[in-house]
Amino acid sequence: MKSKSHPLLGIHSLLVMIFIYVPIAIIIVYSFNSSRLAADWSGFTFEWYTSLFSNRHVMEALSNTLTVGVVSTLVSTLLGTMAALSMRKVSRRMKAGMGGLLYLPIIIPDIIMGLSLLVLFTQFHIPLGKLTIIIAHITFCISYVFVIITTRLSGMGGQLEEAAQDLGANGWQIFRHVTLPQIMPGIISGALIAFTMSLDDFMVSFFVSGPNSTTLPIYIYGQVKRGISPEINALCTILILVSITLIFLAQFVLNRGKGQKKQSVLPF
Amino acid sequence: MKKMKWAGLVLAVTMGLAVLSGCGGSSKETLNIYSWADNFDADVLAAFEKEYNVKINYDVFANNEDLLAKIKAGGGGYDLIQPSDYMVATMIKQDLLSPLNKDNIPNFANIDEAFKNPSFDPDNKYSIVYTSGVTGIAYNKKYVKEEIDSWEDLWNPAYKGKVLLLDDNREVIGMALKKAGKSNSSTDEAEITAAVEDLKTLLPNVLAFDTDNIKQKMIQEEGWIGTVWSGDASFIAKDNPDVAYIVPKEGGTIWSDNYAIPKGAKNQELAEKFINFMLEPENSAKNYESIGYSDPNTKAHEFHSEEYNNDKMINLSPEELSRTEWLGDVGDKLQIYDRFWTELKSGRE
Amino acid sequence: MKKSSLGLMPVLLWLSLFLVVPMLIVIGISFMGRDELGNVVFDFNLDAYATFFDPLYLGIYWDTIVLSVLTTILCLLLSYPLAYYIANAGPKMQTWGLALITIPFWINFLIRTYAWVLLLRTQGVVNNLLIDLGFIQEPLQMLYTKGAVLLGMVYTFIPFMVLPIYVALEQMDKKLLEAASDLGATGWKAFWHITLPQTRSGIMTGAVLVYVSTTGMFVVTDILGGAKSAMISNIIQSQFLGARNWPFGSALSVIFVITSLILIGLFNKAMTARHLKVKGGR
Repeated sequence: MKSKSHPLLGIHSLLVMIFIYVPIAIIIVYSFNSSRLAADWSGFTFEWYTSLFSNRHVMEALSNTLTVGVVSTLVSTLLGTMAALSMRKVSRRMKAGMGGLLYLPIIIPDIIMGLSLLVLFTQFHIPLGKLTIIIAHITFCISYVFVIITTRLSGMGGQLEEAAQDLGANGWQIFRHVTLPQIMPGIISGALIAFTMSLDDFMVSFFVSGPNSTTLPIYIYGQVKRGISPEINALCTILILVSITLIFLAQFVLNRGKGQKKQSVLPF
Repeated sequence: MKKMKWAGLVLAVTMGLAVLSGCGGSSKETLNIYSWADNFDADVLAAFEKEYNVKINYDVFANNEDLLAKIKAGGGGYDLIQPSDYMVATMIKQDLLSPLNKDNIPNFANIDEAFKNPSFDPDNKYSIVYTSGVTGIAYNKKYVKEEIDSWEDLWNPAYKGKVLLLDDNREVIGMALKKAGKSNSSTDEAEITAAVEDLKTLLPNVLAFDTDNIKQKMIQEEGWIGTVWSGDASFIAKDNPDVAYIVPKEGGTIWSDNYAIPKGAKNQELAEKFINFMLEPENSAKNYESIGYSDPNTKAHEFHSEEYNNDKMINLSPEELSRTEWLGDVGDKLQIYDRFWTELKSGRE
Repeated sequence: MKKSSLGLMPVLLWLSLFLVVPMLIVIGISFMGRDELGNVVFDFNLDAYATFFDPLYLGIYWDTIVLSVLTTILCLLLSYPLAYYIANAGPKMQTWGLALITIPFWINFLIRTYAWVLLLRTQGVVNNLLIDLGFIQEPLQMLYTKGAVLLGMVYTFIPFMVLPIYVALEQMDKKLLEAASDLGATGWKAFWHITLPQTRSGIMTGAVLVYVSTTGMFVVTDILGGAKSAMISNIIQSQFLGARNWPFGSALSVIFVITSLILIGLFNKAMTARHLKVKGGR
């Protein structure tokens, strides 16, 4: 589709993007700064990159963070999508009640969520660790997925699904070929927010974590007292570069696939 | 179909990231330590792991209150924690600590007498000091030309918008109490109220309340003068030699971080062996040299570098220490401190 | 329960266990007393709720609401055009747009916020640049002000606004716009009468996410604001930690959650009403 966007729109978008990336550029630059306290620029170094990989704590924290992030994103995306789809079919009163309930995890202050879950887990003798962090993250991530997909659904009429039904498609077929493709941008956006929230959560994770389940935010908050090590800047730089490279590669692979046969890239 | 592509992309990215991160685990006996970040030298920890053939799990908290909330709610499974002085007192009162078996810690004898039997834990029944320091005034000689010797100097109108205060109600209100010649742990409402009224007149001078990043703010000369911990002042002076440090004549607050063992710890004996190991003079010297905090171990003195031993901000003089006071427990008056603190910081009444 | 709503069951179960039960505990604690050590003791009373009506805490809540509304408006103004641009770009650009907006926020929040400190402090990048270019002689005090807090909030929550608006824009029926322009509607008119109403669910979701997240944020005020102003969440936090007054912290949370839900409901109603009016006028 040809974009008919006004040039001002492009300039505005570019400026917002610059706004978003200026601090990121600073992080990348400072990952090569030889000063430990992120004070002045005091010389170029690779020191933080080399020491990063021998830092057991950071590596463990990174591994925990990613495990928690991926698992809670997958589960919450599934549950949130199911909830959003089912909400279309319930009574108005139920809708209001469930809507309120699903907004709760976003509204509740983090500390309340963290402490109350900690009390709950210890009462039921559930050992604190990665599992409890994942449970907690799923609980708040569901909401983000839910509200985004609901946004998508509210702008979507039921005509296509009805048409498919008239043509004799069964429930699963309708879901797979009509509903799912329509809400896919919502699912993707919801999952992106869920993953972001999980990666960034400190307060809730802090309270429900146990020995050997320190996540990156817990580690970083802990370092604040001494000054956050530039190793973390190095780690962030690597994370950004790896993410962007992976997207680039994925797109490259997908584009090649598209050349052969349009729908063969993914199973649905 | 473009919509399908995103699913693929996100999957690829998340899976790629997940693969990047490895997995690990072992079945050795484990010592679970819960402390401040970077509070130990990694090599000394590794030496302990090797000598006792155990694994150390080192998790971190960011402040005493977080630690208390977590331990109190039964969270953890930790064998060794490092609360500060007043938090040791609170934890003892709440029956959260397990008495130490000194038979396993013969090196306790190496501790400086000045740090034995502190007021918050007489007889060291539950805790042993790890490191300590004082809250005094750090100032930058480039901007502060006057001679600094009193808390009163923070009120100097010449430093408008350039004063840094610790982000801690007890420290700051305690400082104002000291300035007025009272105890930093006063429970007298009239005294506390007067101190807070005094602090309100200091507000125009205040650049920021900060505990964690006060070092960067002093190094970068954002702030000219402020209430700073002695250990932090040593950090600052290394990066910015213009910064000087004094303990005001009215006296300051002394604090310490300590070893303690929470009730219900699975490996109490191993934790005690660890404390003892850390108190071996050579280990001690290596550890404190690396983390840059004060070493209460008298026997370690000879193993420290000259630079460390000569650092006046790490090793405070007995005269300076004599002017200091621990922050005592104020019981339910903490509510008054908290409400006044909220008033001060929000600029509302 | 009807078969069609079976999909709600897992979520309902999950939230009952891990959200409703803990919330009930919090509500319970908000009616209890506390002993000198800060332990919660059973002693039914409404003291914690009465304390909230202290003008000090009411004032702080008001400040929080004002800051959150400002953040929401600024986020909307910055995000809508960006989301519009992405949604109308080619498929490849859409992927990149979404990715480039989200990925920076995979970097830890603290690290991102400290990067702003490096930029804005008196000897920071921005001041040095302005001085070198000769715009100013003396460095500006940008940090530890209300403006710095607002900037930090807007920065932190931009993706929360861009993503929902994008999701709504992307599915808009572009034929409507074409029809409008065929009928001679100018760009603005078409945007005002077609695009905006059609994307109101995206705006609504984005606004709620940004508003609610801002009210719950407290670290930005500490780092960029120099801890010189308090948000309601700072107070809640300190009641559970430093002040050890769990009943008051719980009561504050209950009040906070209820007022937020009411505000969301009112906002939802207002947005829907506006939509109906536009529809009627067409």
